[in-house]
Amino acid sequence: MGESILKNANETGPEVQAVLAVRKEGVSGREASRNLGPSGVQRLKNWLANSAVMPPLLAFAGLFILWELLVRVLGIEAITLPAPSSVLKELATSFVFYLPHAWVTLYEAVIGFLLGTLVAFIGGVLMAHSRLLERTLLPIAVLANVTPVVAIAPLFIIWFGFGALPKILISAIITFFPMLVNSIMGFRSVDENNHEYMRSLHASKWEIFMKLRLPNSLPYLFSAARTCVSLSVIGAVVGEWSGSTQGLGNIVMMASNYMQMQRMFAAILMLAIMGIALVNIVRFIERRVLSWHVSEQKQG
Amino acid sequence: MSYIKVEKVYKRFIRRGQQTEALRDINLELEQGTFVSLIGPSGCGKSTLLRIIGGLTDSSEGIVSVGGQTPQQAQSDKQFGFVPQAAALFPWRTVLQNMNLPFEVNKKAGAALTSEREDPVELLKSVGLGDFVHAYAKELSGGMQQRVGIARAFGSGAPILLMDEPFSALDEITREMLSYQLLDIWETHKKTVIFVTHSLREAVLLSDKVVVMSSRPGRISQVIDIDLPRPRRAEMEDTEEFHHYISLVRGQLRERWG
Ligand SMILES: Nc1ncnc2c1ncn2[C@@H]1O[C@H](COP(=O)(O)OP(=O)(O)OP(=O)(O)O)[C@@H](O)[C@H]1O
Ligand SMILES: [Mg+2]
Repeated sequence: MGESILKNANETGPEVQAVLAVRKEGVSGREASRNLGPSGVQRLKNWLANSAVMPPLLAFAGLFILWELLVRVLGIEAITLPAPSSVLKELATSFVFYLPHAWVTLYEAVIGFLLGTLVAFIGGVLMAHSRLLERTLLPIAVLANVTPVVAIAPLFIIWFGFGALPKILISAIITFFPMLVNSIMGFRSVDENNHEYMRSLHASKWEIFMKLRLPNSLPYLFSAARTCVSLSVIGAVVGEWSGSTQGLGNIVMMASNYMQMQRMFAAILMLAIMGIALVNIVRFIERRVLSWHVSEQKQG
Repeated sequence: MSYIKVEKVYKRFIRRGQQTEALRDINLELEQGTFVSLIGPSGCGKSTLLRIIGGLTDSSEGIVSVGGQTPQQAQSDKQFGFVPQAAALFPWRTVLQNMNLPFEVNKKAGAALTSEREDPVELLKSVGLGDFVHAYAKELSGGMQQRVGIARAFGSGAPILLMDEPFSALDEITREMLSYQLLDIWETHKKTVIFVTHSLREAVLLSDKVVVMSSRPGRISQVIDIDLPRPRRAEMEDTEEFHHYISLVRGQLRERWG
């Protein structure tokens, strides 16, 4: 009997505590609003700091409002700078027109990114293991990197036509170098103690790569991937500018020829959204994979 | 026949055309299941000697045999449990996953291991880390990481443990505590341990044999047997015998300075 009563008390315990906690919360909330001043500001700050989406969303909203006001107050004509409301309206009414073009650009960018970073990763593995290979091949990679893609793009159009292929290749070239450099660094920068420990177990080169070098390189690879994924969109657009029949870059180019400002801005806006989405997809995967990593833990 | 035998070993490094003799004419015989300390001034070649025995680097001259094998053969049979100065834990692995690392690589060598695989969680408990089995290595303090490194070496099935100043990065109090934990865990496992240290106290407390080295060039100046009874306990540190051994080793180290 006594035991069951005790058990009951224990069971209701947490609930009672929860109720108390809610009450406390309520009181402190009321107090905060009564006092206003610093604690109210502090609560807002805390709320913002704890939300991942709100701060940038508010910033964008602020930017759009400022832009809208500027256009209206200064009476800027749509031919110079259209109001964001009119751009959004254009996007909303002709969404079905933009969507296939967005798909084309997204396809070129993503395939280019995958191709460029994959080749760079393999190159990184090889160069990290052989100084000779690094000394022979890295200068070529550097040469490809310092040559402006804008200058190569027309050449690729001549070689590979107006389809997706030249754009994919340009995206691949532009993403190749950052991934190559970061992967070499990631594979090489293993802790000397850890490397020696693996050697003391007589681990093979392959085991050392899989268990030590690869995990060690992941923060470097993801950091490069974040850069590369936005570069890949740039690569696709540059390719489309050099010669294309579709894609958001093509729309920007055509709209610019005909001074269709709403259309141009609508395409630019879609490109920006695409870039943000891609970077955030990489971030999302990164957070999953690198839960152990300090810089991730700090962001929390 | 001794278990580990070092005969006329020399090691020379050539750096920018300049030759340094890190080790000169090293001769050493170690019995199985004994605890041996290497002590000597900085740069006298302790780490180099340890690395040669462990097959991590080659000697320039001389012969090393480990249970009748070359160091490289012994290494490929996973005969060594290595504990470097920094704990060598992988930060992306949990403590338990780090404990398992020795069993994930060079798997064909498993058959050559002498002891049965021990429960890693029990080992972690024995060094006071029972609550940190699933913590990431990064979430542990330096002393806790070293304890994982030591527990891992004892749990790896390797009969020979090579420890290169495992406590040197730790504070005095932690060191003292860890030296007793090391003593405990060693007394239950009785593996062969070669332990590099700068601490006279640790050398005498832990060892059956203290190898005193001197530098420039690095050589062995004396090997002192420590005939203190085992199991050794904290009270022993206050005995006259203990102090006698400390001053013996200290005297030997001093002689080489002057
Ligand atoms: N890879 C190397 N290249 C050149 N010289 C080296 C190398 N490793 C060690 N030495 C030299 O060999 C000598 C012995 O070095 P070692 O690291 O074995 O000393 P140690 O006794 O472990 O010193 P400490 O107590 O400071 O760790 C030193 O003079 C050092 O400069
Ligand atoms: Mg050393």
